[in-house]
Amino acid sequence: MKLYDQIFDVVKQFKKLFSPGPVTNADVSGSITAEIFLIVSLVLAAILLRHVNVLLAGLVTLILAVVLIANIPLIPKFKIEQEDSLEKMLFYAIITLAIIVTFMYWGGNFV
Amino acid sequence: MNELIPLMVIVPLMAALVISAFSRFNTLTKALAFIVALCLPIIPLASNYGLHYFGGYEPILDNVTNVMYHPAITYSFTFLQQIFIAGVGLLTFLVVFIYLTKYRKVSGPYLFLLFLGTAAVTAMILTDDIFHMFVFFEILALAQVGIVAASSIDYSYEMALKYMILGSIGSPMMLLGIGFLLALTGSVNVTDIVAAVHNGLVNVKSPVFLLSLGLIFFGWLYASGLPPFHTIKSGIYSKAEPHGAALLQSFTVISMISIVLIMFRIYSTLPIFEVLIVFFSILAMILGVSLALTQTDFRRMIGFLAVGELGFIGLGIGLGTQFAITAGLFQALNEIIITALLFIGFGAIVNATDEVDTRKLGGLLAQHPKVSIMLLIGGLAMAGVPPLSGFQSKLMLVQASLSCGYPELSILAIMVSIATFVVFVKTYYTMFLKPKPKELELEGKEVPRSMIIVMGVLLVIIILLGVFPDVVTNGISNFVGGIL
Repeated sequence: MKLYDQIFDVVKQFKKLFSPGPVTNADVSGSITAEIFLIVSLVLAAILLRHVNVLLAGLVTLILAVVLIANIPLIPKFKIEQEDSLEKMLFYAIITLAIIVTFMYWGGNFV
Repeated sequence: MNELIPLMVIVPLMAALVISAFSRFNTLTKALAFIVALCLPIIPLASNYGLHYFGGYEPILDNVTNVMYHPAITYSFTFLQQIFIAGVGLLTFLVVFIYLTKYRKVSGPYLFLLFLGTAAVTAMILTDDIFHMFVFFEILALAQVGIVAASSIDYSYEMALKYMILGSIGSPMMLLGIGFLLALTGSVNVTDIVAAVHNGLVNVKSPVFLLSLGLIFFGWLYASGLPPFHTIKSGIYSKAEPHGAALLQSFTVISMISIVLIMFRIYSTLPIFEVLIVFFSILAMILGVSLALTQTDFRRMIGFLAVGELGFIGLGIGLGTQFAITAGLFQALNEIIITALLFIGFGAIVNATDEVDTRKLGGLLAQHPKVSIMLLIGGLAMAGVPPLSGFQSKLMLVQASLSCGYPELSILAIMVSIATFVVFVKTYYTMFLKPKPKELELEGKEVPRSMIIVMGVLLVIIILLGVFPDVVTNGISNFVGGIL
């Protein structure tokens, strides 16, 4: 029942996502689709870790699924993080550099 | 007729300068722009395949090491270059045609930017010199900023400025990476660098070589609008004039494949390179489509979808097999045409309604049936519905990832296609099928006929590529076989 309430609450929270304009059925349906798509695709992408280690892939997939579902709605959070603010864009550019460096440092072992 | 190879860059570049210089003479400017734009798709189709050495400096054979060195800036023209240069040339012609027919008084500087951008991407895909590629990459970035800033849409200046600021991070990183490569190999010619890497003259495990990959890769992310630059890329598309956005996305796609093909030739010995490409491609697909689903501004929605589609191209390249890279490059060609159709079609709706919010639109099917049907087919092509061109390339990508042993990627690609379909059906319903809102006034506002003609031309290409994909894929596959 708690999960049901949480899902129902998601719809209410989508109202804020489209404010100040009206919220239509199509917009809410689109947002719910985006929510489900985001969770499923991230979990699916995590399975790719099986090429590194099967146990790691299983653990990461399970933990990711639980974390993502427990934190719905994700789309409003994602959307806020990806607005046209230059500060956020610069922040994520730096994060990306860090990701590339991480890949290079540890990924170099696979050369 | 290998003399035509440099003309593919020189003609639009000279035209840009001449048109800008004589922009006071409106009729002359219009006539010149039309003639030059018409030549752009013809030159690559009339040219023979081959190499062009600037300054006439032929390659030199080192008799001691038996290695060939390339002292000149070299342009390489094969089927791949031909199809993409002809494609962007045709699109430039169509965009210039829309622009010339839409405005009575044309702007010389705006036409200058359009031709400059076309010249820059043409040079990027032709060149075999990594520094030459970087110079035109910079010119392209400036042309893109100019095209966005020149539009009459609110906040276009702000978005152009943000794009330039982010470029001031991405571009120096790439230049630094190129500098490291030069330090390691003593050359900026890609063939020479590849020879040095494959002959063991460069230690691929050296931190400098890995660092050069990281830096050039970051610059590539900026050029192609993959995360974290997907937000700004979709932003600049939405703030440009519709025909400008159609051309901008083609510039993005061609600069993306130009840089990644050079990177692939140099770094394909490093497995981490392909992992990086696949990682950021997956991220682009997921973020692009999920953000497109929540947009109410349909220009922004197409912008995010365009970014998501870039992920498919990256996926093909990242998988690294001949079939996968062919699929990725075919997807690139399809994206250029399909997204251009969508930008121009939705731009026509903006033109007719002065509205970009899907919540305030409705009932447009009755008002603009031709535009709506062509947009519907374009949207279906983007989602990968048979027998359209998008279906063929996406099917190839799904098959490629399955044959590479990554069924997860196949499922993900299919899911992204389905989500793209949902985005399009939702937008199409709200704009064209639901009842017209009372506040929406449509009297006396028509879609320019030139836009409908251009959409028709693009639609024919989409259908032809969908029915006869082999016309393109065989040639691309031969090219890919050559670089592997």
